[in-house]
Amino acid sequence: MLRSLAVVISVLLLTMTASKAAETVWSGLVIAENVTEPQPVPPELNRIEGSLKKFFGYNEFKVIGQSQKTVRTGQEDWLATSKFFSLHVDARGETPGGYVLNLKLYKEKELLLETEAKLSKRSPLVIKGPQVGGGQLLLVLVVQ
Amino acid sequence: MKTFEQKWTAWLDDELSGPELSEFEASLPNKAAAQAEKAEAKKLGQLLKRELSAHRLKNEEFFSHQLREKIVHESGEQHHERPRRSPTSHWWTIPRLLWAGTASLAVFLICTVLVMHQERPAEESQYLTQILNARVDPVVSPNGTVSIFEVKQDRVTVLWTEGLQSLPADYAAK
Repeated sequence: MLRSLAVVISVLLLTMTASKAAETVWSGLVIAENVTEPQPVPPELNRIEGSLKKFFGYNEFKVIGQSQKTVRTGQEDWLATSKFFSLHVDARGETPGGYVLNLKLYKEKELLLETEAKLSKRSPLVIKGPQVGGGQLLLVLVVQ
Repeated sequence: MKTFEQKWTAWLDDELSGPELSEFEASLPNKAAAQAEKAEAKKLGQLLKRELSAHRLKNEEFFSHQLREKIVHESGEQHHERPRRSPTSHWWTIPRLLWAGTASLAVFLICTVLVMHQERPAEESQYLTQILNARVDPVVSPNGTVSIFEVKQDRVTVLWTEGLQSLPADYAAK
C-alpha cells in the first residue's frame, strides 16, 4: 500500500513541476515576398501561416535570422540577427500567461523600433518592419 | 461394627450410652488422659462455634446501598468507554492519513483545474499578446506610426508600422 501511495504522490508532484517547466521563445527575422514559386513556410511559422498571408498579402516567408531561447527565470535577454538587422529581446519578468519583453529592432547600429509587449504563451506576436526591396521585414515571436 | 475411631468420636460428642459407653471406657488405657482430651476438644468446639459464626452487619442497608452505587457507576463507565474504544480509535493510522492527504490533494487539483477551465473564456484577452507601448525612432523615421491589431480568431497580435525608411533588397540577406 505504501508503494502505491508513493507512486500516486510522485505522479502528482511530477504533474505540478511539469506545469512550471521552462519554455522556449522563438524569435525570427522574416522576409515576406511575393514570388512565382513560393517555398514552404518554415515550421516555426506553420501555425500562423494563414494569418501572415491574410494580413501582409505575401506568399513566401523566409527566415533570415532567428534565435531560440529557453526562458527559465523570465529575466533573460537574447539577440536574433541577420546580416543587417538585429532584434534584441530583453525579458523583464513572467506574467500568468507569458512574459513581458522589451524588443528593439536595429538596422546595423541604428535603432529603428522599440516596443514592450506581454508575449502570451498561446498568442504569437508579429511586427511589421521596414520595406526591404520588393518584400517586407517581419519580426515574429512565438512561445513554443 | 464400629471402629475405635468411630467410637472415640462418638464418645467425645457424648453420643455413647449404656453398655456401649461402659465397654468403651473400660477399653481406654488411660481414662484420665482421655477425659482431659475430651474436655479440651469440647473447649475447642465451643471456641470455634463462637468465633466462626457469621457476624451480623450493623449497617446492612447502608452497605448494600454503597455496593449498588458502585455497580451502577462502574457499568456506566463501561457504557461511556465503549464508543471511545470502538474501531475508530484505529482509523487514523499513518497509511490512512497518507491516503486522506493524497485524496485531498487530488480533489484540490481537480477543483483547481475545473475553476481555471471555467475562468478561461472570461480571461481570453489575457491570453492574447498585448503591446504595452511602441515607438519608432523619430530621427530615423520622422513619419513613422504604429498601430496594433489583435486577431482573436487566430490569437495573433500584430504591431503594424507605417512610414519606416525603405531599404534596398540587399538588406534581405541572411
